[in-house]
Amino acid sequence: MGLKGEAALVGAAQYKPEKYASAPRMFHLEQVADLAGQALTDAGLELRDVDGLVVHGPQFHEASMFVPAIVAEHLGVQLAFAEVVDLGGASSVGAVWRAAAAIELGMCSTALCVMPARMAPSLPDDDDVLQAMKAARFGTHSTRFGAPEAEMDLPYGHMAQNTGYAMIAQRYAGVYGYDAATLARIAVHQRFNACHNPGAMFYGQPTTVDDVLGSRMVADPLRTLEIVMHAAGGAAVIVARADIARRTRHRPVHIIGCAERIQSKSATYAADMLATPHGPVARKAFGMAGVKPTDVHMAQIYDCYTIAVLLTLEDAGFCEKGQGMAFVRDRDFTFKGDFPMNTHGGQLSFGQSGIAGGMTQVIEAIHQIQGRAGERQLARHDLAYVSGTGGILSESNALVLRGA
Amino acid sequence: MGTWNKPLPRPTDTTRPYWDGLKAHRVRLQRCEECGRWIFYPRPRCPACASRKLAWHDVSGEGKLYTFTVARIPTLPEFADEMPQLLAVVELDEGPHLNTTIVGAAPEALRVGERVRPVFDDRPGEVTLLRYTPVGSPHPGIIAPGPAAAGPETTPAATPSQPPKRKVSCKDLAEMKSLVSTEWSGWSNEFLVSQEIINQFAALSGDDYWIHTDAVRAKAESPFGTTIAHGMLIQSLASRLKLPLDYEVVDFTNIVNYGSDRLRFMTPVRSGSKIHARCRTKAVEQVKSGVQVTIEIAIHVVGSDRPSVLNELVMLYM
Repeated sequence: MGLKGEAALVGAAQYKPEKYASAPRMFHLEQVADLAGQALTDAGLELRDVDGLVVHGPQFHEASMFVPAIVAEHLGVQLAFAEVVDLGGASSVGAVWRAAAAIELGMCSTALCVMPARMAPSLPDDDDVLQAMKAARFGTHSTRFGAPEAEMDLPYGHMAQNTGYAMIAQRYAGVYGYDAATLARIAVHQRFNACHNPGAMFYGQPTTVDDVLGSRMVADPLRTLEIVMHAAGGAAVIVARADIARRTRHRPVHIIGCAERIQSKSATYAADMLATPHGPVARKAFGMAGVKPTDVHMAQIYDCYTIAVLLTLEDAGFCEKGQGMAFVRDRDFTFKGDFPMNTHGGQLSFGQSGIAGGMTQVIEAIHQIQGRAGERQLARHDLAYVSGTGGILSESNALVLRGA
Repeated sequence: MGTWNKPLPRPTDTTRPYWDGLKAHRVRLQRCEECGRWIFYPRPRCPACASRKLAWHDVSGEGKLYTFTVARIPTLPEFADEMPQLLAVVELDEGPHLNTTIVGAAPEALRVGERVRPVFDDRPGEVTLLRYTPVGSPHPGIIAPGPAAAGPETTPAATPSQPPKRKVSCKDLAEMKSLVSTEWSGWSNEFLVSQEIINQFAALSGDDYWIHTDAVRAKAESPFGTTIAHGMLIQSLASRLKLPLDYEVVDFTNIVNYGSDRLRFMTPVRSGSKIHARCRTKAVEQVKSGVQVTIEIAIHVVGSDRPSVLNELVMLYM
């Protein structure tokens, strides 16, 4: 059962995360073509090799339906497998395992997984700022008649991610205890990693635990420097069958384990807010790969918030439930440390380029395994665990990756 | 506060009994007649066993505070009057969780797991919202509609009985420089930014853009859900806000307002919000014609941590 490890990540490309206001504007189709071209060049493959596509569907600028067809038409490729993902921050990890599964099933041989996340150009007469603010007004909360969140959340002011994750953190505090300075270590260590990554948004801006604790309280107990910053960007990876992977330019990164779990949109309705859907995900992914948490050489953990990292580490089995604070206090998460995590800086310090944010973790794992991580290169770099998280612990997934 | 301009629930055929219950000041929940599971939010089928045999029951509405947060930035602009927002999840005694807000309690006194009881909020008019308060709180179980105790337009400054102010001579540069501090002053009095004042400013300045003056269009089209004050209006209302300073500059023949080194409109001020201000002295410099003082004034919506206006005002004492 599960993946046999016959598909591999062979190429990657991403835009450096940038502030929306100053980032280049590009149509999504043009971003897809550009990122695909860069990722294929990285792999040493060509566009005509691509016969599979996984793309983020919602918010695709030039189409609200038929997204794969319009992408195939624009690229000039024939697709034997096409999939749209709609898993929020878990979309990137979700795209990669879908591509691997399709390849193992024989549906396609080389798949493009792509997440465009720069804003599209606007017409000269668009009231751009007003439109953007209006679009962002209710975040990802639906205001439609009949939508549970429109009826049960918005009238009370429950909106967006910050307060949802803050309530999870407060629950953790009430049940297991909470130490803000310990959580701050995650942000600080990741910032150290980012300061060795010229591609990171916060490169050259080291931070301290005091900086994190001194940053503004947004929703108790979460502070600004524990909350990811949205940015413009975009990313693509190429997944190929093993025989094709052997012909590519770099060390193939085989997908040997994966799993996914979708629980509820709002964490409010989870039976236990602190038992994230990542528990069953990790057990299945590690089981499929035939490895244990203690075997991996690096963990690239989806980090929209410091509390999300803590809960994922617990539920992935890197430590016991309720022992996350002690684990975080005792471990060194830098690339020089005893538990290398988010070695690119994590999204907190690399930057969260919208829906492509989760791909930064996949791409860092690829670069580490391929031995191309520059000053951040780990000495042991054959086996990686990559997690994805969407919404407010709504969607969860994971990959176990091994170098050929 | 006038009309309720926050998002309102629109009951569906499935959820209407729940909202009708709240209107009658009762908490009603569905229970599955097949598997016994209590259900929230209302559905046509049981999420545990998919049975359609669901029945409505009145329950006490009491439960435990499952978790909460203190939102320091309004989650939506319409909620600026609640700052800080006490958002919470309550676990009903029957098991289901629901989203709500806490009333009648100080944020620092809240404890995960403490007992809470329902408060029926009739203010929206067409529907009743279900809020919660700790069981020991004296907060009434019903919040009645109608204007809240209409207070005066302005309130006294934070320190009503002030000790005699320290007199600082503008001729004494060392003493003037001692005023420079990173600490903020106390808060000024509060001032209500009414639609009337916004309309007057629109007429006076000629800036009558609909986002400030057209309440109907703003409710439908504005990203803020209601009209907002002009940034320039809020900036100039600083004159209405008396800062509780413990010193007074003396020995000058004239003060000149030199303008501003930096003026930023950081967050919108909704029509109907109260504002207040605080300040700190950023710099004191001897210049040719006198002593130049840069004062940073921060004007906030009451309860909001994030300023609406930041103004680095430059004054010249001559």
